Amino acid sequence: MLIFLTLLLPLLGGAMLSVLRFSRARARAVYVEGVVLLTSVLVWAVLLSRTNADVILCRLTDDLPITFRVDGMGCVFAGLVSLLWPIATLYGFEYMKHEERENTFFTWYTMSYAAALAIAFAGNLFTLYVFYECLTLITLPLVIHKKDTLSIRAGRRYLTYSISGAAMAFIALVCIIWFGSTTDFRLGGVLDAAKIAGHEDLLLLVFLLAFVGFGAKAAVFPMHAWLPAASVAPTPVTALLHAVAVVNAGAFAVLRVIYYSFGRSFLYGTWAQTAALLLACLTILLGSAMAVREQHFKRRLAWSTISNLSYMLMGAALMTEGGMVGSLTHMVIHGVIKITLFFCAGAVLVRTGKEYVQDLRGFGRLMPFTSGVFLLGSISLVGTPPLAGFVSKWNLLTAAADTGLGLGVVAVVALIISAVLTAVYLFTVAAPMFFRPLNTDLSHLDGFNRDPGWMMKLPLLLLCAAMIALGLWSQPLVTFLRQVAAGLTF
Amino acid sequence: MILLPILTFGPMLAAMLIACIGRRTALLRDMLTALTGAAAFVLCLLLCYLGDISFALPGFCGLGLTLRADGFRSLYGCIAAFMWMMTGLFSPEYMSHGHHRTRYAFFTLLTLGATLGVFFSDDLFTTFIFFEVMSFTSYAWVAHEETPGALKAANTYLSVAIIGGLTTLMGLFLLYHQQGSLAFDALKSSNSFAGTIAAWLVVVGFAAKADLYPLHIWLPQAHPVAPAPASALLSGILTKSGIFGLIVVCSRIMAGNAAFGNALMALACVTMVLGAVLALFSTDLKRTLACSSMSQIGFICTGLASMTLLGEHGSLAAYGTVMHMANHSLIKLTLFMAAGVIYMNTHALDLDDIRGFGRRKPLLHIAFLLGTLSIACIPPIGSGYASKSLLHEALLEVISHQEALGQPVLAYRAAEVLFLVSGGLTVAYMLKLYVCIFWEKHPTRQSEFDAQKSCMRPVTAIALLGSAALLPFLGALPQTLLSPLGARSAAFFGQHAVAEAIPYFSAANLQGAGISIAIGLGVYLFIVRPLLMSRQVIGGAREYINLWPDALDLENRLYRPMLLTVLPQVLTFVCRLLMELPEAIVMGLRRTVFRQHRTHRAVPVGNRFTYALGCMFNAAARLLNTTLLHRSPMRTDFEYLLAASWRELREGTRNFTVSISFGLLLLCVGLYLTCLYLLQ
Repeated sequence: MLIFLTLLLPLLGGAMLSVLRFSRARARAVYVEGVVLLTSVLVWAVLLSRTNADVILCRLTDDLPITFRVDGMGCVFAGLVSLLWPIATLYGFEYMKHEERENTFFTWYTMSYAAALAIAFAGNLFTLYVFYECLTLITLPLVIHKKDTLSIRAGRRYLTYSISGAAMAFIALVCIIWFGSTTDFRLGGVLDAAKIAGHEDLLLLVFLLAFVGFGAKAAVFPMHAWLPAASVAPTPVTALLHAVAVVNAGAFAVLRVIYYSFGRSFLYGTWAQTAALLLACLTILLGSAMAVREQHFKRRLAWSTISNLSYMLMGAALMTEGGMVGSLTHMVIHGVIKITLFFCAGAVLVRTGKEYVQDLRGFGRLMPFTSGVFLLGSISLVGTPPLAGFVSKWNLLTAAADTGLGLGVVAVVALIISAVLTAVYLFTVAAPMFFRPLNTDLSHLDGFNRDPGWMMKLPLLLLCAAMIALGLWSQPLVTFLRQVAAGLTF
Repeated sequence: MILLPILTFGPMLAAMLIACIGRRTALLRDMLTALTGAAAFVLCLLLCYLGDISFALPGFCGLGLTLRADGFRSLYGCIAAFMWMMTGLFSPEYMSHGHHRTRYAFFTLLTLGATLGVFFSDDLFTTFIFFEVMSFTSYAWVAHEETPGALKAANTYLSVAIIGGLTTLMGLFLLYHQQGSLAFDALKSSNSFAGTIAAWLVVVGFAAKADLYPLHIWLPQAHPVAPAPASALLSGILTKSGIFGLIVVCSRIMAGNAAFGNALMALACVTMVLGAVLALFSTDLKRTLACSSMSQIGFICTGLASMTLLGEHGSLAAYGTVMHMANHSLIKLTLFMAAGVIYMNTHALDLDDIRGFGRRKPLLHIAFLLGTLSIACIPPIGSGYASKSLLHEALLEVISHQEALGQPVLAYRAAEVLFLVSGGLTVAYMLKLYVCIFWEKHPTRQSEFDAQKSCMRPVTAIALLGSAALLPFLGALPQTLLSPLGARSAAFFGQHAVAEAIPYFSAANLQGAGISIAIGLGVYLFIVRPLLMSRQVIGGAREYINLWPDALDLENRLYRPMLLTVLPQVLTFVCRLLMELPEAIVMGLRRTVFRQHRTHRAVPVGNRFTYALGCMFNAAARLLNTTLLHRSPMRTDFEYLLAASWRELREGTRNFTVSISFGLLLLCVGLYLTCLYLLQ
């Protein structure tokens, strides 16, 4: 029952916000942060109580229940989201001061928490699918929050890609109902060997559809174009939803489909795996290469997200335990790093209104704290030891080399090339912050400190600490993820 | 053992402290910087005394951190800490008019920790971690001046470091995959194809840092623009951290691998000669010293290559390598600090501008002369002589070894010739510097230079002379001072210690040095003086000119265009193509399947079919009217005719299709079909 409460609280709490209509920012902040924090506490209570039982919300038909369950992989996603949501909300209060309609914003922002948690706790493919669609719809108002032409166009694009992706995923859902013994998630897959005899190729095609379909949210090529466009949304949205929650939900769904529905033994070594891996590798390179070219700060980070999400999909598509570990590790670590980078971009945007890369020269003097954090995040994302990004890349690389497939080499090469490109697109921002003088239009500000207030600084500080800690002592996390991948956790 | 983490992480903590206090108290900051270096030096000496110590931090960064201080490692830790201590004493005066001094001190101490970490590492993973940290923190040195030249050099430096580092990571990762461990003691030699690939990939990053051709592009740019103490460290120690990685590869993974040894020997020879030639052509003091570093790295690598080729019998090569490393570190420390003294007084590095600055400055003169004699390997007080003789000896051993194996030795003979010629060029370019700075006279500013009696503070002088004073002792007493270095290190190189005394001043060795010196004097007299100085006498002196052709600039001619133009263009083209694909599909679908608005206009009468048919008939009729039916023209309003008949037909059929008989008819057809199906 605790799970229901966890899901209901942000849903109702968010909805109430549009009824209460706080006019004082402080009261609203206290209320929203309270709801979000309480939810996170409840989530951790759920995670730590380790109840393994299915909780059935309702049944559409006898064999199509909406079920919630807490298993290892759900824990990872729910844990990540529940830690980042309060931080991002706190950041949002200060950020949203310069945007309008804060009540509406926080309504949807809080409600999407429920959708994300529901995806994490979904006990079968049907539930996952339903809440996957919900998440699309709930986050749409956040994308078009500004209501100008650009954001409405971005919203339309987001909707088109997500819905068409979900349509492809729906085919997979039907096939799993048809050919599987159940729709529940079971490590190793639920396909019924007797039923699928003779239909293998069809199922592989369906798998590929599901990969691309669920991958739409994880911005896998050819469904990637919505993400850079969606960076017009307010930064708390780009940072939390388009770098962590929504996009990771896509990667999460792909992992579920591969490891818990189709089963990796069915897919391993098939042409469908080859296709999926190649798509992922292609997206990795595409995202990094486009990020190098992109001059808009937030869009550059969005391209980088595309590339990094495909690291996860690549890990998933390796169809090995190691691949799953790598994928989950990167999900956690990339989430932490990318949200940090976006927060920095947001801080720059709010405090100086600058949004292009070449405007950021010399910001090390203007916003020392923000620039320092950005530099740390950059070094981390490139994968320089001893920071966090290295851990996940190492795991992914090891997994790719261990597959025993020729394609593993392709993946390794793609990862390394992408790492070089990552260095290029991040250091061309970070290094001029410290080693160039300020641009002339800002030189009157030289000597002033334009760092944001504590509500934006504290999240950055916490995330930095997480980045360093995850880099230096990654063992507990990786061990836990190994257990998850081996099905050892409850 | 707690000493090792203190040595690696302590300086980093000190750096944090400095970042906090630095802007407030400059004096405390400078003292703290120098003290950290001194403390590190003392601790390293203690480590040398204590012997073999190791430390492990399992789980750090995933694979764990292992540190160990045995013979070679504690020795190099000492040298590194010594250099930091000396530059720490030297920098306050040098930097006193500079900017961002706290930033400089911060990154210097971070680099100290990272460098010690590299030298104390006991597995390649740990080496790599500290190596990467070191690359990033030392970027701040190169970019410090923030001039366009410095930023360009810094970009080059960072690019080479990152690309090299990631290539090394890939190699490490393959190695880990093949061998299951990266600990030095667990690395096995591997002659398989995959093993060779892994080794070469690992080598790339280290070779880039060590400045081996063709990855040398960063060094001749970076050293002249960095502050002098930083140049000393970059040249003296950071390049050696690259060598450290090469040693590990040569002595463990590729031990005795002839192909690897030959390739390394070839690269080493190119580096050695190219560096020396570049140094000879250069007209910038620090650039000459930087190119000289490159050349000396080439010498060191010939030693490594010889050691690899000789397999288990490479003791002398190992001795020569480690001794030349140590010598080169100390020599470059002295020379770069001397260059720093010149720069902080004149703010110039071009030879024409600093000409004659060293006259009547005995301290500077002594320090520079000692450095010059050492690097030019002039016995008996040039410390480089002993180590270079051993490297030469090792090369001769390789030749006899190959002869014994029945292999052709012509290439090795050529390498020996190049070795001696490079030695000669070293003499020539150092002579060029020395004569220019200390003997020639500046055409206009000489009296101003002579007036600057006290060109440095006492502390600076102590740092400079303290470093320089070591050199003659090392040179004169190689048996007591340098041989133990080799003996300490042999185990790390996978070689045995040499039992008998090495005859440093034997006739053969002296003859080699003599040949080099003769070549050097010849080059100076017959090439430098007549060719590398302009014919015209400007203001009473002939200018030095740099005749090095730009066309040979590997970076601007090849690397930068490839990386910045060709590669992005190709990638962008492919990306654009790929990106347009889904959008094109969407657009295509909108145009065809999901057509939202009709693009054609409505026809005036009838439907499209009748209208088109009518128009065709009309056209045919007009054609006929103008040709055959000239006299009695046909009607040309078929579209109306057809439209009318179509309407009639529609109305007629509608009456029919809504009638019950039509329904019955369809039912019958259906029944017939069903019957046919059932009967089959």
